[in-house]
Amino acid sequence: MLQCIFLLTDSGEVMLEKQLTGHRVDRSICDWFWDHVLSQGDSFKLMPVIASPTHYLFQIIREGITFLACTQVEMAPLMGIEFLCRVADVLTEYLGGLNEDLIKDNFVIVYELLDEMIDNGFPLTTEPNILREMIAPPNIVSKMLSVVTGNTNNMSETLPGATASCVPWRTTDVKYANNEVYVDLVEEMDATINRDGVLVKCEIYGEVQVNALLSGLPDLTLSFANPSILDDVRFHPCVRFRPWEANQILSFVPPDGQFKLMSYRVKKLKSTPIYVKPQLTSSAGICRINVMVGIRNDPGKIIDSITLQFQLPPCVLSADLSSNHGTVDILTNKTCTWSIGRIPKDKAPALTGTMVLEAGLDCLNVFPTFQLGFRIMGIALSGLQIDKLDLRVVPNRLYKGFRALTRAGEYQVRS
Amino acid sequence: MFTQFGATADTLSKASSLVFRIGTDAHLYDDPEDVSIAPLLDSKFDSEKCEALKRLLALIAQGLDVSNFFPQVVKNVASQSLEVKKLVYLYLLHYAEKRPNEALLSINCFQKDLGDPNPLVRAWALRAMAGIRLHAIASLVLVAVTKCARDPSVYVRKCAANALPKLHDLHLEEHTSAIEEIVGILLNDNSPGVVGAAAAAFTSICPNNFSLIGRNYRNLCHILPDVEEWGQIVLIRILLCYVIAKHGLVKESIMSSLHCTDGSHSEKDDSDVNFAFGDTADMSSSYNSEISNVISRSYIEGLDEYLTRSSYTNQLSSDLSDAQFTSGKSNEDVKILLQCTSPLLWSHNSAVVLAAAGVHWIMAPRDDVKKIVKPLLFSLRSSRASKYVVLCNILVFVKAMPYLFLPYYEDFFISSSDSYQTRALKLEILSSIVTDSSIPSVFKEFQDYIRDPDRRFAADTVAAIGLCAQRLPKMANTCIEGLLALTRQDSLTTDVGPENGEASVLIQAIISIKSIIEQDPLSHEKVIIQLIRSLDSIKVPASRAMIIWMVGEYSSLGDIIPKMLTTVLKYLAWSFRSEALETKLQILNTAIKVLLSAKSEDLWTFKRLFSYLLELAECDMNYDVRDRARFLKKLLSCNFGSEGLEEETNSLTTNKDLHVLLEHLFMKQTKLTSSGPITDRFYLPGSLSQIVLHAAPGYEPLPKPCSLLYDDLGRFSNVVQGTTMLGEKASYSDSSGTHDSNAYGSLDEESASNYISQQSITGSSDSGGSDDSASEGDDNPVPLIQMSDVGNAGNNQNGDSQSDYADMGELMSKRALESWLDEQPDSSKLSTSKQSPVRRSSARISIGNIGHRVKPKSHTLLDPTNGNGLKVYYSFSPEVSMISPLLVCLEVFFENCSSEAMSEVTLADEEFNKALGSADQASITAESSLSSHNDVPTLVPMEEIVSLEPGQTTKRILQVRFHHHLLPLKLALHYNGKKLPVKLRPDIGYFVKPLRMDMQAFIDKESRLPGMFEYTRSCTFTDHILELNKDKVAANVDDATGLCLRFSSEILSNSITCLITITIEGKCSEPLSVSIKINCEETVFGLNLLNRIVNFLVEPSPNNL
Repeated sequence: MLQCIFLLTDSGEVMLEKQLTGHRVDRSICDWFWDHVLSQGDSFKLMPVIASPTHYLFQIIREGITFLACTQVEMAPLMGIEFLCRVADVLTEYLGGLNEDLIKDNFVIVYELLDEMIDNGFPLTTEPNILREMIAPPNIVSKMLSVVTGNTNNMSETLPGATASCVPWRTTDVKYANNEVYVDLVEEMDATINRDGVLVKCEIYGEVQVNALLSGLPDLTLSFANPSILDDVRFHPCVRFRPWEANQILSFVPPDGQFKLMSYRVKKLKSTPIYVKPQLTSSAGICRINVMVGIRNDPGKIIDSITLQFQLPPCVLSADLSSNHGTVDILTNKTCTWSIGRIPKDKAPALTGTMVLEAGLDCLNVFPTFQLGFRIMGIALSGLQIDKLDLRVVPNRLYKGFRALTRAGEYQVRS
Repeated sequence: MFTQFGATADTLSKASSLVFRIGTDAHLYDDPEDVSIAPLLDSKFDSEKCEALKRLLALIAQGLDVSNFFPQVVKNVASQSLEVKKLVYLYLLHYAEKRPNEALLSINCFQKDLGDPNPLVRAWALRAMAGIRLHAIASLVLVAVTKCARDPSVYVRKCAANALPKLHDLHLEEHTSAIEEIVGILLNDNSPGVVGAAAAAFTSICPNNFSLIGRNYRNLCHILPDVEEWGQIVLIRILLCYVIAKHGLVKESIMSSLHCTDGSHSEKDDSDVNFAFGDTADMSSSYNSEISNVISRSYIEGLDEYLTRSSYTNQLSSDLSDAQFTSGKSNEDVKILLQCTSPLLWSHNSAVVLAAAGVHWIMAPRDDVKKIVKPLLFSLRSSRASKYVVLCNILVFVKAMPYLFLPYYEDFFISSSDSYQTRALKLEILSSIVTDSSIPSVFKEFQDYIRDPDRRFAADTVAAIGLCAQRLPKMANTCIEGLLALTRQDSLTTDVGPENGEASVLIQAIISIKSIIEQDPLSHEKVIIQLIRSLDSIKVPASRAMIIWMVGEYSSLGDIIPKMLTTVLKYLAWSFRSEALETKLQILNTAIKVLLSAKSEDLWTFKRLFSYLLELAECDMNYDVRDRARFLKKLLSCNFGSEGLEEETNSLTTNKDLHVLLEHLFMKQTKLTSSGPITDRFYLPGSLSQIVLHAAPGYEPLPKPCSLLYDDLGRFSNVVQGTTMLGEKASYSDSSGTHDSNAYGSLDEESASNYISQQSITGSSDSGGSDDSASEGDDNPVPLIQMSDVGNAGNNQNGDSQSDYADMGELMSKRALESWLDEQPDSSKLSTSKQSPVRRSSARISIGNIGHRVKPKSHTLLDPTNGNGLKVYYSFSPEVSMISPLLVCLEVFFENCSSEAMSEVTLADEEFNKALGSADQASITAESSLSSHNDVPTLVPMEEIVSLEPGQTTKRILQVRFHHHLLPLKLALHYNGKKLPVKLRPDIGYFVKPLRMDMQAFIDKESRLPGMFEYTRSCTFTDHILELNKDKVAANVDDATGLCLRFSSEILSNSITCLITITIEGKCSEPLSVSIKINCEETVFGLNLLNRIVNFLVEPSPNNL
């Protein structure tokens, strides 16, 4: 069982500590942790499970904030990690983002949330819907109200009804004048293109996001036209397993508002919408770089927000890069970002430039990997199609909306 | 350069954040103490109270101690505002343990709140009440939990389930059964949310009480998909353990490799894996049956068994019989478990997926295990942290069943966002699942990885290439070509410096080449030649040394290499002076190897070269090189005769022995390193121990298959009834019996050899001896301690302890310590002239047998007022049972205080009798109970006392097995045909027995039990002062600082070593501060023992001499 949770800033300052059990954990564990981060660098920071001399630590990092949980006894490590992720998600949702200031400014809410989410080291209420009813999220209205009245009550006086229902994710009495339900397919394309320009791996990681604004206790079924292309799926707890096992139909009572109904994976796609052709040639300590980006298979919709990011190799002393379209930025940590936006019709965007190598190095021996980012509205590249969405009891006024979006996930091109 | 811009950006962001910070609690966090908090707390406005509490919370968050506000805060617990309440609770729970007395003030409010109509208020009150963890209110909390466990609100019941572990943490024995009963009730709840929390409580309170599960196993399985995700994780594990304990392992599963290794091959071959094995199938299946055997074995066996098992082979089928396996196809419980866990593989929580996958891994028939593969791979996408944990677990699966993951090798290709640890894991997985059909694309990937900017990763890739080539000999040539190309290319850039990442890649490349060559040197002759040729361009010393080693190793291989030798050796001799240390040493070694295997025509050249090298080496700057040179020269001068190096032939024959010696020294390295036994230890999938690769405290392996007895199940309800009755009994026997709580008497510690580093007293061995004889008669304290110099102490001490050992009096009382402290001034008088200057030399103290001095404390089992005049009391005896190490010996005294005779007095195990029923109760003997239960009986049946006359006292020796070192044992006392339940309380001090160990072994052992296995507590010891004052001894040696007593012992039941170190600081005449340290693998036992010792030391001794 978890014994303590610490929230650390990216400079190692402890912002919050929440002791969970009678076995008090001293703050010095954070000093130990931070000493090791400083001495061992990022690879330590990326270790999710650490065995310190006195405690086992689980850590996740979100937006520069380190969530650190301690335990001294055997427990499922993924439980600790997933719980921290859930805390981070809930905090992000409550505070409208996650950073040092937001947490410090709303520390009372963070404490109240943590206290409600975990009891004696075991998760208690983690369902965002119920939490939102128990502890009001800070919003502009409540802030203004508190300024005016000086009263900052954000605790609910009653227990949310959902805690007792058999569908704990849904609040009990929801009323909407207009019943609306929106289904979004949000897909991320993961692709790896190797040095020879061969597509090694290309797959889609997709999510079905639903925004259900429905009265009462609606019972929905969602079916796909081509469920056979799905390689694997994961569901929100509200999805009933039986109908999926039998007919591959999603049957569920949705939570109120926005939620992630399912995530899926489609493997072995054959083509990508965009090509990236990097060329690096080096001689006598100078390396010439030339990257071409263009549309390979037109998906029929506009591809925008195209960016190309890469890390200059450590042996590069300086770089002079320019492009015929879009802007190029080089940060101090040698991260280079080329924002292209949309691909123009008349020319193929190209990035050219030279890089000066370290003294004594004639040609480049390590090569950067290019990360491509893009966004295509209105299409799911996996080809997954929603067949229909039904409600068991159709309310008088109902609007159903469907959207699709594909963006780049881990889309990398090696050079 | 852009500082101004940066500054404006900074102020801008500050300004913007200021806007957003209006209305938040920002000012409270930034400046919590800008107003005085105390008056706000006493304000009558809730909003002001709120603000004050928030300020306190901010101070807590910043790590400050604000417990001084405790009394004022506690008052506010009565507030009607829920927000104030919540904040007060937050504060209260943070400090309650520090201020127990003030915390008690809040209890009334909690009790009032527990009756509140608002379930939220009830739940919070219960949470806070249980959360303050005070022994004093434990029984109140228990009542509250019992009430809340039947609350109409699900949320309150859930909180009740969560409160149970808090209560259990207080270690109150009398509540144990009641707590377990509530767990049972909550596990039976209709609401999935409650069941999840109850499952968590079950795991932390009574993970082995499977009777609770057995009653509603089916229900739990059906409710599992609806339980909250966190509860699912725990419940899955409970169900798995239950099924194994009840039905045993599944015959068709991976665990069956424990049972029959031969069958595994055939089964595996006809398993319908839709993947072409190629010719690696045989290899991989034989390879994995060995590992899967080790894996499944380590799932079941505990740490102690693992340590005692010397080798993993030969005893495969011996310890698991056929009966411990069940068929997954016919057993309903197993089928249901697999059925209800398989949809959980679709959960969006990776922890649930992994837990469900673990069940299938262990229980599912081998052919069905493949259904866990896709979900596991999918969960790699969830988050960076869980990716690492999942990969760690996949690695184990891959090792045991590589074929499962063969088609999915692409999922393990490295992405540029992976952390180094993740990449290393992926490489290891890739190199173990690669096959002839997938190697081309994997190899292509590897070539890309070598160009990665992270050179550490590139080096790992090179190592992985080596591993792949060893697994797939067909690919060896391709791999070696790639590696050779790497050495050529890299060698151009390696002037940069040895700490450069390139060097590590190059070294790793040579290591990989070397290991590939070792497999089949003959066919790789050309590779060796190429490497030797490249010596000129390779500059990294470690890789040069390795190539030079190859020259020596394969000097007689093939046709070409022997011809090159002269040139190579000349080159080495030429470059010797400029080489690095390791290369120089390797050159010398190689030269002598060449010399030894040389044909006669070249011998002369070699000798010349060698003597030249020797000369160079003898004048080297480095010691090692000079030493090596002299050593070789000496060896050779014997070998080749003193006449010089010319007359080789006859001297070779005369000194044949030496020649053999030389060959052994230098030529025997060609032996292939056979894959040794797998020494890794594996832990259950999804466990913390598997990630950190050691058994974390509290790690439990799977229960022993079929360890659950069938009659355990039906019995439970009886027991519950029995215990409630017993509980009442116990409560008042408590107050009389154990209140004057030295009742525990003597703690047994071992003291065969104690070392201190404080004083050295010479000649005290004989004086000690005389003391011994002199004082034995009178009442003076017997010299418990003999101090002697290390030099002459040996025999004396040995004799001493040997005799002690013989009469079992070796068990020492803790009293020895205090007596020693009293004795100290005495013995120092004997050698006043010597004691102070020789501080550092270590003296040896042997603590004599004081068994006769310390009277074992007796505990009351039955009060004459309860027992109609029968008084039963018992004391622990230091003897070790002859029947089983699990048994503890007790001396039980039966005294008849009444005026009538009593008959048929006997003590028996209550539960045992119940289980067997009254019919055959009479026929129970020690033998039959031993064999029927396959286990040690709780109580070795005692000889019945036929009759007990008034005033008569009879003594019986009882051998008892306590189920737990803290929990009392329920026994039934029969007399006059009546039956009375009694409780026997264990004393943890008697659960250890001495273990002889010398100082070095002690320290070694201690260093092997660091971190989690080490617990320390400090206390002050005042007991000796009284005695000191009584004796009025001029204390010459006052300072006892640095005195360190070490006791080594071993836990009776499982023979786990338990080390106790007591360090003393302070002056003899004042209270001493004592710190006690325990090193023990049994965490819980160690902690309890530590507490016991501390309590013992702190308590004033009742009978000061």
